[in-house]
Amino acid sequence: MAGKPERAGINRRGFLKSSLNTLSGLLIGGIGGLLFSRSSKKEMVWQIDPEICIQCERCAANCVLAHSAVKCVHSFSMCGYCDLCSGYLEPGARSRDTGAENQLCPTGALKRTFIENPYFEYTIDEKLCIGCGKCVKGCAAFGNGSLCLQVRHDRCLNCNECSIARSCPSQAWKRVPADRPYILRGDESASFERRMKRGDHG
Amino acid sequence: MGKRSSGNNRRESIHRRGPAAAGMLILFSLLLAAVLGYAQIQERFPKPDFQTDYTRPDLSTPLPRAQVWEYVDIAVLIAALVLASYFAHRLRSRRKIFWLMVFSLVYFGFIRQGCVCAVGAVQNVAYALFNTGYAIPLSVIAFFVLPLVFTLFYGRTFCAAVCPLGAAQDAVILKPVRLSSTTAGLLGMLPVIYLGLAVLFAATGTGFIICRYDPFIGFFRFGASFAMVLFGAAVLLLGTVVARPYCRFLCPLGVLLDWMSRLSKKHVKITPDTCSNCRLCEESCPFGAIHKPNPSAQSPDKQTELRRLAVLLVLLPVIMFGAGWAGSRLYVPLARQHPTVALSEEILLENGGKRAVMTDATRAFRASGKTADELFEEAGRIQQRFRTGGWLLGGFIGIVFVFKLIGLTILRRRPEYEIDAGACFSCGRCFSFCPYEQLRLGTITQKELEEMEREGKNGSGAGGTSPMENNQNG
Amino acid sequence: MDKPSKKEGVLYRTARGVAVVSGIFALILCVLLIANFLQTQSVDPLNSGALTRLMEELRGNPEDTALKEQIRALDLLARKAYFTRQWQIRTGSYLLFGFVLALILSLKYMSAFRSRLPDLRKGPGPDRTWEEKLLSRRSLIYTGLGLFVLALSAGALSRSDLRRIGRAEKPTVSADFASAEDMRKNWPAFRGPGGNGVAFSEKIPMEWNGETGENILWKIPVPMEGYNSPIVWDGRLFLSGADRNNQAVFCYNTENGELLWRADLDDIPGSPQERPRTTEDTGYAASTMATDGRRVFVIFATGDAAGLSMDGTRIWAKNLGLPQNHYGHSSSLIVFEDRLLIQYDQNTGGRLIALNTRSGEVIYDRPREVEISWASPILVDTGSRTELILNSNPSVVSYDPVSGTELWNIRCMMGEVAPSPAYADGMVFAVNDYARLVGIDLSGEPSIAWEVIDDLSEVSSPVASGGLVFMAASYGALSCLDAKTGDLLWIEDFDDGFYSSPILSGGNIYLMDMSGVTHIIKAAREFEVTARNPLGEKAVTIPAFMPGRIYIRGYKNLICIGSGGDGQP
Repeated sequence: MAGKPERAGINRRGFLKSSLNTLSGLLIGGIGGLLFSRSSKKEMVWQIDPEICIQCERCAANCVLAHSAVKCVHSFSMCGYCDLCSGYLEPGARSRDTGAENQLCPTGALKRTFIENPYFEYTIDEKLCIGCGKCVKGCAAFGNGSLCLQVRHDRCLNCNECSIARSCPSQAWKRVPADRPYILRGDESASFERRMKRGDHG
Repeated sequence: MGKRSSGNNRRESIHRRGPAAAGMLILFSLLLAAVLGYAQIQERFPKPDFQTDYTRPDLSTPLPRAQVWEYVDIAVLIAALVLASYFAHRLRSRRKIFWLMVFSLVYFGFIRQGCVCAVGAVQNVAYALFNTGYAIPLSVIAFFVLPLVFTLFYGRTFCAAVCPLGAAQDAVILKPVRLSSTTAGLLGMLPVIYLGLAVLFAATGTGFIICRYDPFIGFFRFGASFAMVLFGAAVLLLGTVVARPYCRFLCPLGVLLDWMSRLSKKHVKITPDTCSNCRLCEESCPFGAIHKPNPSAQSPDKQTELRRLAVLLVLLPVIMFGAGWAGSRLYVPLARQHPTVALSEEILLENGGKRAVMTDATRAFRASGKTADELFEEAGRIQQRFRTGGWLLGGFIGIVFVFKLIGLTILRRRPEYEIDAGACFSCGRCFSFCPYEQLRLGTITQKELEEMEREGKNGSGAGGTSPMENNQNG
Repeated sequence: MDKPSKKEGVLYRTARGVAVVSGIFALILCVLLIANFLQTQSVDPLNSGALTRLMEELRGNPEDTALKEQIRALDLLARKAYFTRQWQIRTGSYLLFGFVLALILSLKYMSAFRSRLPDLRKGPGPDRTWEEKLLSRRSLIYTGLGLFVLALSAGALSRSDLRRIGRAEKPTVSADFASAEDMRKNWPAFRGPGGNGVAFSEKIPMEWNGETGENILWKIPVPMEGYNSPIVWDGRLFLSGADRNNQAVFCYNTENGELLWRADLDDIPGSPQERPRTTEDTGYAASTMATDGRRVFVIFATGDAAGLSMDGTRIWAKNLGLPQNHYGHSSSLIVFEDRLLIQYDQNTGGRLIALNTRSGEVIYDRPREVEISWASPILVDTGSRTELILNSNPSVVSYDPVSGTELWNIRCMMGEVAPSPAYADGMVFAVNDYARLVGIDLSGEPSIAWEVIDDLSEVSSPVASGGLVFMAASYGALSCLDAKTGDLLWIEDFDDGFYSSPILSGGNIYLMDMSGVTHIIKAAREFEVTARNPLGEKAVTIPAFMPGRIYIRGYKNLICIGSGGDGQP
């Protein structure tokens, strides 16, 4: 193979190259087609299964967002509106008031409003909630379990590999279809479906 | 025994009957609840009957990004790929490529915040291929297939102007140094290993390590774990002197794009016309993807080289097998990355009395109702999968290794300046260095060109002409 | 490089200025952000130790308003610090981004003045392609070999016990525990075989007197504090003792009271540095031991559990986690086949733990939705299956002892539950003071057949047999009820209260009061006292019944009662 142009050599290379090119194209096409046949039109998003969640507090710390996309949500339909709320009050709290020493929530994100004797409404201030799940644990232990941790999809970036899911000790994280993005308890799950149909998402 | 309080006497017991009667009522309601089926163990307190006209607030459930955006992403990807190829091949405009790159950085990087990305899609594809239960999203397939297909036709125009990771690095190139071909060649093995590992971990359902070690996701989102930000900053800092270090020496997708680009139907050329070996483009590529001509190159001992080539070809299966074997030996540490295996090992530690305190994970597992034997069995299966995967991983690395060696054994003669199609990102930086390109653009005249060529032949030219310099873009 | 023209010179200098300034600012911001990060790593304001300490203090001193104010102020500070820090990081990173952008742009502008054209005067130089290839090839081969060796050594160094498990044949060990029949011949747990309060041994002494020494075979001082009751297996008697510094198991020869061995258990891995606080009437060794006929098992108020061989060798020992228990952990152990079952109900929620008797490894660890309790589990054979029944607030719950799955759950209890349940003829009886005594009918779907709310037992566990239920209240009332209907058949008052539980043996109820007097009463629909036997000292434990013998742990002495004894140890 001297310095002069070699038609035969170039052609051989060219032929090899173009056949490999076609082969690769077919391979990629094949993989694409196979995957396409298996693909879902529905986008999948991350969510926590509250039945498996153990409230280990990793959701507060491990999200790629500085302010975790996991927040506590309240299924009002399940709530007993208790005065002695084990999700709101520190265990062994002496008085049932809003004093910091009695509150379980480290950021005061769980708000307590008097409704009528002896009922209180509990709502979550999402700006303050850090998703630690302390209140969820308290409510699950001695209450109705109306509080649970959920991924809020207006915040979640839907990472390919969720860094909280990776560190979840009870493997409570899973992917759910984007049109049913919450796993709620009580009536809320049903009413959510209804609102989905109406196209109104509070 | 144990709980004791003092001062109990009979009289007290009589007093207690009042509350006991109330207790009866509670018991009755509880029993009623039991009859009505309180399978919902949580329902400890009945829902109140409000006397006031209190209405229960609705639980807000914000929805994820609408589905249509997924199609928008695909459309933007296609448009960007088409434009990038058009800019590189037809317009040969570095400036336009640069601005498209900035757009991609803003859209795929800062607006879409780095997810979905073509580099990470490799893992979803691997996972989907080995786990039939996984329904892979359409956008992920598009982000995997389209860049590869475009590269098969037009070279790595995806890297030039569409990939936000490449764009972030391309934007910070300041004073690129030229790495020796030995260093670059050695570092070039890293992406191959990274790709192999990423596919292995994805296929076994262990995790998506490419996403875990994505350098720029922290910047795109203005926040991430400290280690992630640190890694990203290091890549960018290094990127000022070593151009696109992630793309060249880590990016797993780069391996595939490299192969596709070598086979591409068309690939950008430095010159729009003929090469006069004027040497002006010699230093223009920050990525070292321009081969100098070597018309007189000759191996000192042709016989030995041919024998070497033959030996390599014969050794190919042996090396593949050996590397596969070495890979399969690694299955224990590799499988340990899988959460199930990691959990089993923790449970084993605890059961063996080697660790006294339970972790959250082991406590959750022990409460789950699964037996340790079931877990160990599954972990054993995963280890076996890693053993097979280790063979494939090793074999893959071995085969690439041998082909690299073969490439280093064959001496190809190049009469003129040529682009290394595998390494070239089609960024278009070299175009403006070529006098024929300047002629094409009309910035110099035929006469000036001839004059330059004369100077070049005389070896007296000092630097380029000013129009060329002005045309450099980044 | 060409000299920049004058206009370009100004621009160049401007760019350089911008680069320097933005570079400095970026550097400062970087340092600040890293410092901020390190600070977040070292102190998490929301979980500050100072706040926890103050809360702890408040728990002991709940009325201290100054303390409350202090907590509130600190809490506010912590929240502010947390959210301010988040804001700082966010703003800092935006600013940093801006400065870095400015830096890069200006540097790029400057670099545009630099030529990247080769110096053509030098000439192309010698062609080194081949030499480079040779070098590359050599280095690639060495790297490849290095990787190969590295992979092999990493593979050789890593070890996985999973591998061993996968390979090991499942050993088909013959049952490594005593048969149910042997269990009945001995006294293997709190309240006897199955913990049900029924003694199956015969020729149980009917009369003794600890004061005169009548029928006292031997008597030795109790070696260490503890409210646990003795267990007996085949000539050996075991009991445990513990105080603030020591934990130990003692084994005696049942013939003569000779100490056969003592096993100290002070060095169990995971044991809390500081012993938990317990009340004086609970102590650190309130839980009675258990045996499977091959080994004995013990648990202390520290959460330390251990398995010992019959000759005192430690087989396994581990800490189950410090019990959150304001009186002290006192639920006793029970063994089902190869599982040691532990009712671990605490202030932070309940758990049912099954440990492998041979290794101590956790077979299951089920969370229980109950509050703290002090009762002990019982194992009953309902004819179709063996159930593990636990009494607690708010539920009486039955589990499959093999898997730990819940079989049934009936909500009926309140308060601080201490009495263990009892079982006879398809009925479970559970009681707690301030709540009720319930008869749960297991025929068909388990349900409450009847309930009684008078003269409830506070500590003492009920016993049932032959259609009767006996219950001893701590203020001294012993009541007998019809097991099917819950009707009160008779109730009798005694001078001293009952903490020990009635044990049924050969048609008689043996019930020891707090002063140590054992009343023997006919287990019949009519009240009839057969005997009244003083121990000579106070006692609150459960006697152990063996053929012809009774062993009682008093406050001071361990006493063996048997016919023919003359009181001289």
